[in-house]
This record gives sequence, C-alpha cells and structure tokens, in this order.
Amino acid sequence: MSTVIGNNKPKSNNKLIGTSLVIGGVVIAAMMIFGILMLLAQGGVISVSDAMFYQFLTIHGTGMIGAAALAAAGVMWYFLSRYVNLSRKVFIWFLALVLIGVVMVVVGVFSFKFASAWTFLYPLPAISASAWGTIGALLYLIGMLILGTGFLLLYIDTGRAIIKTYGSLGKGLGWDVISGKKRLEDAPPKVVVASTMVTIVNTSALIAGATVLIMNIINVINPSFTFDPLLAKNLTYAFGHIFANAIIYMAVIVVYELLPKYANRKWAVTKLFLVAWTMSTVFTLLIYTHHMLMDFAMPKWMLIMGQALSYANGLPVLVVTAYGALQVVHKSGIKWDMASGLAFLSMFGWTVGVVPAIVDATIVVNHVMHNTKWVPGHFHMYMGLGAVVMLFSFMYYLAKIDSNVKESKLDKIAFWCYALAIFSVSAQFLVSGALSTPRRWAIHYPGWMTPAVFGAIAGVFLVIATSIFIIHFVRYMKNRGTLGSDMNEQETA
Amino acid sequence: MVQTAAWVTSLVFMSLVVVVYAVVAWKSKEKSDYEPIKKKWNKARKVYATTLVTILLVVCIYTLRELPYDLPIYGEGQDPTVVDVEAVQFGWLMSETEFKVGEPIEFDVTSKDVNHGFGIYDEDMTIIAQTQAMPEYTNTVYITFTKPGTYKILCLEYCGTAHHYMVSELTVTE
Repeated sequence: MSTVIGNNKPKSNNKLIGTSLVIGGVVIAAMMIFGILMLLAQGGVISVSDAMFYQFLTIHGTGMIGAAALAAAGVMWYFLSRYVNLSRKVFIWFLALVLIGVVMVVVGVFSFKFASAWTFLYPLPAISASAWGTIGALLYLIGMLILGTGFLLLYIDTGRAIIKTYGSLGKGLGWDVISGKKRLEDAPPKVVVASTMVTIVNTSALIAGATVLIMNIINVINPSFTFDPLLAKNLTYAFGHIFANAIIYMAVIVVYELLPKYANRKWAVTKLFLVAWTMSTVFTLLIYTHHMLMDFAMPKWMLIMGQALSYANGLPVLVVTAYGALQVVHKSGIKWDMASGLAFLSMFGWTVGVVPAIVDATIVVNHVMHNTKWVPGHFHMYMGLGAVVMLFSFMYYLAKIDSNVKESKLDKIAFWCYALAIFSVSAQFLVSGALSTPRRWAIHYPGWMTPAVFGAIAGVFLVIATSIFIIHFVRYMKNRGTLGSDMNEQETA
Repeated sequence: MVQTAAWVTSLVFMSLVVVVYAVVAWKSKEKSDYEPIKKKWNKARKVYATTLVTILLVVCIYTLRELPYDLPIYGEGQDPTVVDVEAVQFGWLMSETEFKVGEPIEFDVTSKDVNHGFGIYDEDMTIIAQTQAMPEYTNTVYITFTKPGTYKILCLEYCGTAHHYMVSELTVTE
C-alpha cells in the first residue's frame, strides 16, 4: 500500500508548497520582532503603551501559530500527495482563505486596537473596558473563522483522499495492522499515519474553535446573547491546544522522511509505531484540560485526567519517535547538511521541550506555575526548537533537491546561531517562570526584568538566523527546477 | 518550594536529553551495520520504556495525593474564615484583607465581568497559590498563612489592557 500513487506533478506543486512556506517563514520572522519588542518593554528598555503591548501579544500568539500551521500544512501536503490524490484546487482555496483571515486579523488588531490575546476568552471580546470596539472584535473573530474554514477545507480533503485510498481513517492509522487483519508489510506509510492523525484531531479542534468563535461573534453583536463561560473556555482550549499541538505532528513528517534518507537506513513502520500514533491521536484530543487545572469548577476527574494523560502523551515521542530518530542516526555515518542537521535539532527540541511541559502539567506545580512565564518557556522550546526547525529543515531539503542554490558558511553559522538563540529565549522564560513572573504582563517589576532583556538580545540573533534561512529559501523559489533532480519523486524509506 | 523542585527536576532531565543527543550526534560520524544496532537498542528500549513508565506512574500518583481542590481537614473548633473575592476590570473586591498567621482561610473567588486569575504572592514575590476568577462560577482557594507580612494579589489571567494594574494587598499578622 505504500506505493507512490498520487502527485503526478510534484515539481509544479513545489511552487504552491513553497508559497505556503515563504508566507509562513516571513510571518514567523515578523512575529519574532513583536516578541523582541514585548521582551524589551518588559525589561524596561523601551516604552510601549499598554494598548500597543497587548496588540503585540495578540498578533504574536495568533500569527506564530497561524504561520507555523500554514507552513506545516504545506509540508504535510507535499509528502502526503505522493500516496493519495489531493486536490490542488482545495489547497489554493486554503491558501486564499488563510490570507483573507490573516488580513482581517491584522486590520482588527492594529487598526481597531483589538487585543484579547489569541485566547479571546469569552466574554472578553465584548467586554473590553472601552479598549476596543465592536468592529475590531468582529474583524478578528470573523478573520479567525475564515482562517479556520480554510484549514477545515484542507483537512476535509486530506480525510477524503485518505479514506478513498486506504478505506477509512482507522485504516489510515493502521488499525487493521494492529488488530492483525493485515500484514505489517502492507501498513500505511508513516506520512499517511501522521496525516490521518492530524486530520482527525484538527477537524475536531476546528469545529470546537468555530463553535466558540461564532458564539463570541453573536455575543459581540448582541450582548444579551450569553453562554456558559466554562463551556467557552473548554472549547477555546480544545481548539487552541489541539491546533497548536498538531503543527509538530504535521512537521515531524520531515524528520521521518529525511533522516532515513540521509542516513541511508530504513525507518520501518512497526506495530509499536502504529500504536504510538493512535495513542497520540487520543491523548492530543483529551489533554487540553491541562490548560484548565486552575479552574477548580471543572469536574475533578477531568483535571486529574489532564495531568495523567499529559504524562502519558510524552511516551509516544520519548519511546517511539525520538528514540527511533536516534537509532537511525546512531553510528550511521550520516551526511550532515542544513536539512539533516535541522531535522536532528528539531527532534532534540521536541524531546527537551517535553520535560518542562510534563512538569507544568502536574497539578501541584501548576498551582504555582500556571500563567507564569514557565508556560511560554516550554512551548517556545517545543515550537521554536521543535516544530519550526522541522519547517526550516524542509526548506533546505526542497532547495537542495529542486534547485542549484548552494548552502554556504553563513547558513551553518545561522544554524548554530538559531539553536543557541531559541534555547536562550526558552531558558529565560523558564527562569522567569521559576521566579513567578506572570506571563502576559505589559510591565515587569525590577526583579523580573533581567531575563526579559536577555531574551530580547537572544531574540535579535534569532531573527537574524531566521532571516538567513528564509533568504536561502526565497533564492530557491527564484531558481526552482534548476537542478533537475528526481530525488523528490522517489519513494522514501 | 515547589518552584525550585520544578526547576531542578527540569534541569536534570533536560541535561540528560542534551547528553543523549550530543553523544548520538558525535557517534554519527562512525559507520556501523544497522541491524546489530537496531537489535541492541530495541532490546534496550524495553528497559528504557519500562523505567520511564514506572517513573511517570510513580510521580503522577505521588503528586496527585494532595490537590489544591480538596477541602482541608480542619481541627476541632478551627472554623475557616470565608472571604468573598470578586474580580472586576481592573481590581479586586474582597470582604476581608487582614488575617492572622495560622488562621485557615477560604477565598471564594468569582468575577463580575471577564476571566481573571487570583494569584497570591508572598513578600518575596513568589506565588504560593492561585485559582481562576470566572464569571458565573466560584472557585475556592484554601490557605493558611505561615508567615506574617504583606502579601500581594496579582491578576494571572489576561483580562484587558490594564490587566497588569490589577494588584491588591493582604496583611498577615502574628
């Protein structure tokens, strides 16, 4: 079943995929600048008005997740299209809807001062203490709804294509192999398994998100329409947690594809691999309650489940994916270049980010760490050193196989610069969290300022390194197809 | 202190991850047959996975013994002081703000408008307890101050553009 059947025009698709990566990459770099500005303001280095700070906060969170998800969806589409027939038209609609959504969100935030943070926790969009008005709130919320609709269309298409080729989403996850009805040799490839998982969890997340967005929109238009704030919070985090989490599950396909290719070793699908991805599917859907451990009104069993399943959610990556990647690389004589180096670095980022995440999901720890800077500490590691690095890895890979654009010493310097900078940014957040520094605070008391300044300086290096990565990829986009390699059309290990 | 324990635990395990990845990256220069490597490390995975599951299980169960949601067991004649806390953009309305060391207190926390976070900071500006302040719901924080001093209440859930001004004080005396 792992025969290459789809994507009869891989090279012409590269332009489409490349567009999503360029947009994603540029937005990520721009959002880093807002991150630096916020850290400088918290460190007392620059003065930013309160309203402006929270607009930066809102655009930084929304933009980072949106841009990374856009680029990761492009990566997933690129690899999945080798095994199933995906619709180019749907991908173009997806790109268009995301762009329309982004424009509305940006206008809502900067022209109409909307600043509810990405969480838009009901009823904050409607009750702003006169900081923003109805138009700003509607632009943001409807923009997010349009953006989400774009993603939903994409996942409906991936789901359709997987079901058409493999029979069902269960079979896409390899359940017939786990149950013994099918031979392991006929298991779906890793790309399909990961894509099926993401299709399931993100469709659920987007429906939850659309529900809470629509309820907020009605509430903003007509404040006499109200709904349960705890239900709203559940829907918001079910959407936000799953959607953000799924970025790495899309992007990790790069690691699955690249490391075996570079190490010249087979990374075969095993029953353990299939079980791990089913576990990830279930856990990702359920563990969003670890965002609500300080909502004592929640049923206690849901909060205990939030802790227990968050612990369990570390197992598939720690025991299967990260371990598998290390096995593939160990004593392999692997050829290191930017793509393989970034793929390996990203697995390190994901693994190391699991540690503070599990610590924070512990209820007694969360009681004194929740909504401190510990939280951005762990997710900057997971996203910045994990998921986003996977995207950069893919950018260098595509440039290598589909153009004559060469890697230079500058790229290597950028590699180390990026690794050290994002590690420093994450570490200063963790230190701040351990010092009880609250997150999402426009000002900091003197004892909290030093890590913020350190983070801002590291952030500057991060932007420089990211810009070098993106410039390399833009050069590729201009020189696409100049190498004529068929490597990207070959079946992968 | 919980924060120190969390920090040290994270540092230890994160350092372990750094070492493992560094060793594998270093050894990647060598070239050996994959089959023996796979065989050896698949075997090792069983030990590693069992150890990991055991550690996670033990830590999970151990840390779930006492939860901040649970009503403490009070001594005879030791009735808690119930404090009504209402959050409002951008301040705290509290029925009492002065307490004694050793006095069991229950903060019943709610909100008049949007979501807020009720975070109690000690004199060293370290969080000692928190809960969410939500409209339509009441969350109860159980606490007995062990040291006298001036404690601060900070809003720990983003609630609007003056969120960081939402600070109040509690006084605890001997």
